[in-house]
Amino acid sequence: MLGLLETGSGFWSAIIWIVLVLVIGSIVIYIRNKGEDSYKKNTEQDKPFISGNPEESKEGSHLSASHIYWGFTEALKGYYNPLVKMHTGNINDYSSWIIVITVIILIMVGVSG
Amino acid sequence: MRLNKYFERSLWVFHLNTGSCNGCDIEIVACLTPRYDLERFGIKLVGSPKHADVLLVTGPVTGRMLDRVKRVYEQTPDPKAVIAVGACGTSGGVFYNSYNLSGSIDKVIPVDVYVPGCPPRPEAIINGVLQAWIKLEKLRESMKVASVK
Repeated sequence: MLGLLETGSGFWSAIIWIVLVLVIGSIVIYIRNKGEDSYKKNTEQDKPFISGNPEESKEGSHLSASHIYWGFTEALKGYYNPLVKMHTGNINDYSSWIIVITVIILIMVGVSG
Repeated sequence: MRLNKYFERSLWVFHLNTGSCNGCDIEIVACLTPRYDLERFGIKLVGSPKHADVLLVTGPVTGRMLDRVKRVYEQTPDPKAVIAVGACGTSGGVFYNSYNLSGSIDKVIPVDVYVPGCPPRPEAIINGVLQAWIKLEKLRESMKVASVK
């Protein structure tokens, strides 16, 4: 498994691969540790530069899936807004809707039948 | 050994327009053109104050830019120097008592070098950058002495 694998167009050796990862990783960590470390922590120097604007909260800057079809819901907001209002999150409201609609259907079936 | 010390004399400058008419900004660009070519000395404009040694600020500070100027100043790593370029930056210029101004740059952040003119010539801006350079050298020396103590 750790031997040399000849492919015809090159070779593959797990040991050489591991050694290379360790050597390159060590060089990267060494250079990174030589970087600037005198910045003031927990100040503005710790925050990203967004053209001088304050950093928004994670919730405020999050792109939700609904942003993808924003134009669709914006064009049909006359239809969506009442629907959103109807979704109160209260199970009693939903049960009431079922009862009301069931009654309406039964009346319609009763009248036509 | 720190890699950064080899870059100390390559002055990186962040240009901030706080409400300038662009006259000063054009003269700053002129400093980088082949006629003056500041980049041959390692002096160059950078895109983030977090990479900068010097803030080059043009224009009077408008109300909208007030907290942004402060934030950019705070985000610039120490030691740093601020150069106010142009009549508006140094004093507010003809807009000094305008209703939507917070005043000249030194009313918002500490300024180290003033380059007056409307707009100042590139030679004057380059001289201002050199003054800031001298100031930074002194600041770095004092920081080194303080760290040794």
